[in-house]
Amino acid sequence: MDALMLSRLQFAANISFHILFPTITITLGWVLLYFKLRYNATGDGAWMRAYFFWVKVFALSFALGVVTGVTMTFQFGTNWPGFMEHVGNIAGPLLAYEILTAFFLEAVFLGIMLFGFRRVSNFVHTLATVLVAAGTTLSAFWILALNSWMQTPAGFEMIDGVAHPTDWWDVILNPSFPYRLVHMLLASGLTVSFLIAGMSALRFLAGDRSESMWKALRTGVFLGATLIPIQIFVGDMHGLNTLEHQPQKIAAMEANWETRGNVPLVLFAWPDEEARENRYEIAVPGGASLILRHHVDGVVPGLNDFEGNHPPVAPVFFSFRVMVGVGVLMLLLSWTAAFFLWRRDTLPRAVALAYAPMAFSGWVATLAGWYTTEIGRQPWLVTGVLRTADAVGPVPAAHVGFTLTVYVLLYIVLMVVYLGVLTYLAVKAARDGDKTPLPGVEDHALSQPMQAEG
Amino acid sequence: MTYDWNFLLPLIFAGLMGVAILVYVILDGFDLGIGILFAVAEDDEKDRMIAAIGPFWDANETWLVLAAGLLLAAFPLAHGVILTALYLPVFALLFGLILRGIAFDFRAKVPLRHKRRWNTLFFIGSLIASLAQGYMLGVYVLGLETGAGAIGFGLLVALCLAASYAAMGAAWLIYKTEGELQLKAVRFLRQALIFTVVGMVAVSLATPFASARIYEKWFSWPQIALLAPLPILTGIVFLLLWRLSFRMPAPGDQHALTPFLALAAIFAFGFAGLAYSFYPYVVPDRLTIWEAAAAPGSLAIILAGTAITLPIMIGASFYVYRVFGGKATDLSYD
Ligand code: HDD
Ligand code: HEM
Ligand code: HEM
Repeated sequence: MDALMLSRLQFAANISFHILFPTITITLGWVLLYFKLRYNATGDGAWMRAYFFWVKVFALSFALGVVTGVTMTFQFGTNWPGFMEHVGNIAGPLLAYEILTAFFLEAVFLGIMLFGFRRVSNFVHTLATVLVAAGTTLSAFWILALNSWMQTPAGFEMIDGVAHPTDWWDVILNPSFPYRLVHMLLASGLTVSFLIAGMSALRFLAGDRSESMWKALRTGVFLGATLIPIQIFVGDMHGLNTLEHQPQKIAAMEANWETRGNVPLVLFAWPDEEARENRYEIAVPGGASLILRHHVDGVVPGLNDFEGNHPPVAPVFFSFRVMVGVGVLMLLLSWTAAFFLWRRDTLPRAVALAYAPMAFSGWVATLAGWYTTEIGRQPWLVTGVLRTADAVGPVPAAHVGFTLTVYVLLYIVLMVVYLGVLTYLAVKAARDGDKTPLPGVEDHALSQPMQAEG
Repeated sequence: MTYDWNFLLPLIFAGLMGVAILVYVILDGFDLGIGILFAVAEDDEKDRMIAAIGPFWDANETWLVLAAGLLLAAFPLAHGVILTALYLPVFALLFGLILRGIAFDFRAKVPLRHKRRWNTLFFIGSLIASLAQGYMLGVYVLGLETGAGAIGFGLLVALCLAASYAAMGAAWLIYKTEGELQLKAVRFLRQALIFTVVGMVAVSLATPFASARIYEKWFSWPQIALLAPLPILTGIVFLLLWRLSFRMPAPGDQHALTPFLALAAIFAFGFAGLAYSFYPYVVPDRLTIWEAAAAPGSLAIILAGTAITLPIMIGASFYVYRVFGGKATDLSYD
């Protein structure tokens, strides 16, 4: 393999591993705030127990998010120097703002949020939690502004092959940004709600009936059930936006070869790029036209209009189906569970059994969604402006191959350990239930943590 | 040359980047150093050493992200040249930072019997990251050379920088701990100081000989008079620190923070010397800060954001250091 392919694989491996953890921390910060505010309002210690359990998950995920994120910043220079050379005037400020507004906010106040409970007043501690959560959300804002600009660039002019910004509002609020931001934030919300509900279901199956387990379970199930219909709606709008700005990506997502009306919705097929047709196709007649044009006769763009300039079809086609499939599963399961919790105040064992393995379904859908988006942008790095192949650096393939191998091995180990520790924490919490005294209550009342001792 | 924005903006950003690197080296220096000192600490001391850096390490590392981010955003051309030339050492740095970052967190959450393993990884990660930084400094000073000589020199600087980080770590421990551990930290400090001196002398000797331009800048009159105060001041602070270390810990824990501040000053002097030597180049003898800079419009946008957020963040950092001031106590989430 050449340095280009290896660099692409390395970037994909790094960003895929990185994005897993921000996806958790973005929403988990807000959920922790919710637990804390509920405790402040009710004085019910079970909320604080839920807080103390999930703050550990937050700390672990945050640490992984930070260390893999630092790797990302360096990737641009080590592997893709052409990227900054050509579009640095736009990417630079966006990344700089992410660092200045978001990373510092998170990093500085994380210390207080995690370890400051007894050193600052309750108000300051709550404020620190708000700031950390706001920081993670802001960082999603900036990085998605950049990523969306790469998908649908706007507000710039090219001078001697270098992009110069002409209007920063257009750069930031580029056509796909609002959709991508909302869709990603909802994805984070869903990932966290299924993680919380799934791990609580695991504790439930392990025999835990503690009040803190119930509180977390309900929070997770109801949050998920609320967000998933919104996500499906937003996803549909996102698709319409893509149809307008990146028709070749939609053609690949739908595996539609000819531009025509009455295009079927392909449920399953094996897209064959050699023969330029689908094999083993199972399809709903007129479906794609109906979804994308809201009319059975609607014309949907086909891949043959973009020959030589469209992304690889199969990966885009399949990852899109994985994402939508997980979305449908999420809808069915969360509504079933919500029904039982609402009407019966408990969960049938079978539902809990189905929920536990869904703990990480958000990750699957998120990765699948990103693969659709990013692979669908190929062969461009910045649509219409810069090709991926023109951005790669002069590093020898052997070096990239070496670092890629070590990264992948490291990530596999880290993933095993992370999942192991999460399971260990859940089982331990299930065993302890509500029996152990709340940490801290023994000597101080929880709502009045000590002021800093000078 | 006129003093318009096109001239000033790259200069301002070179200054900002320099400050970010210096602050990073001082702040992450002490927590990397504490990781290195894990090699010689007892198991029961490690928890307290971690407690001395727990609330800070993430914010400290963010200065590295800022420095790299400013290089990337303000000098996009130099960013590519430097990082592709340092591909493998950068990888080693990242690998080390990943290891120690997660070891820091996992060691407190895994079942007790696994804790030792994570302590070892914390040490290894910190060591690798420090060595990698030193190596990069060495190679950079030689103008991003790749020959055997450059590698050898890089390795020497790597060892010395790791040792001076250990010295920073020890100085921080003197400030944050008491009793037996504090006594030990004083001993560590003295040993690590010796290597710090060797490293600074080595870099200072190599810098002028790596480039005729820098040689000229150092040893011609009147520049030499401008530069001379730096080595003299550095030497004086070193001697004072060395003498002080024999009187530590002082009764009433006086001067507990002084060794750390003295080391920070030494780092700052050394850094100023480097900055003086390399100016106006970001990539030694190849790209000046003006050749490598991004478009003025983009720089102005970043400067506006920096002028607002950076002071706030520095203020907030001071607040956090105050909240967690005093001797380190056990870390817990409640
Ligand atoms: C929990 C996560 C999750 C779930 C359940 C869904 N998505 Fe999604 N999707 C994402 C997480 C995600 C994502 C990771 O956030 C992506 C990748 C990049 C982006 O902007 O959002 C994405 C991208 C993405 C794109 C590509 C946008 C582009 O062209 O760049 C489309 C068209 C959809 N989604 C549509 C849907 C539909 C119709 C869903 C209905 C079931 C759906 N998504 C569920
Ligand atoms: C090209 C891509 C990316 C780069 C260069 C990048 C860079 C980074 C860096 C350097 C950090 C660590 C900062 C710190 O020290 O706190 C980080 C963390 C973070 N990133 Fe990324 N990132 C990228 C993609 C993304 C994407 C697509 C998202 C989300 C939508 C995202 C969201 C976050 C969040 C929320 C954090 C902080 C929370 C945490 O650390 O868990 N990043 N990123
Ligand atoms: C702003 C954030 C992001 C930036 C600047 C960015 C940029 C890039 C770059 C430079 C590449 C390598 C060249 C290539 O396309 O092959 C790439 C590819 C890729 N990215 Fe992103 N990316 C971002 C976010 C993400 C996220 C969060 C994911 C999530 C999982 C992701 C998944 C991928 C994948 C799978 C590829 C490989 C596609 C291929 O090579 O066919 N990207 N992206």
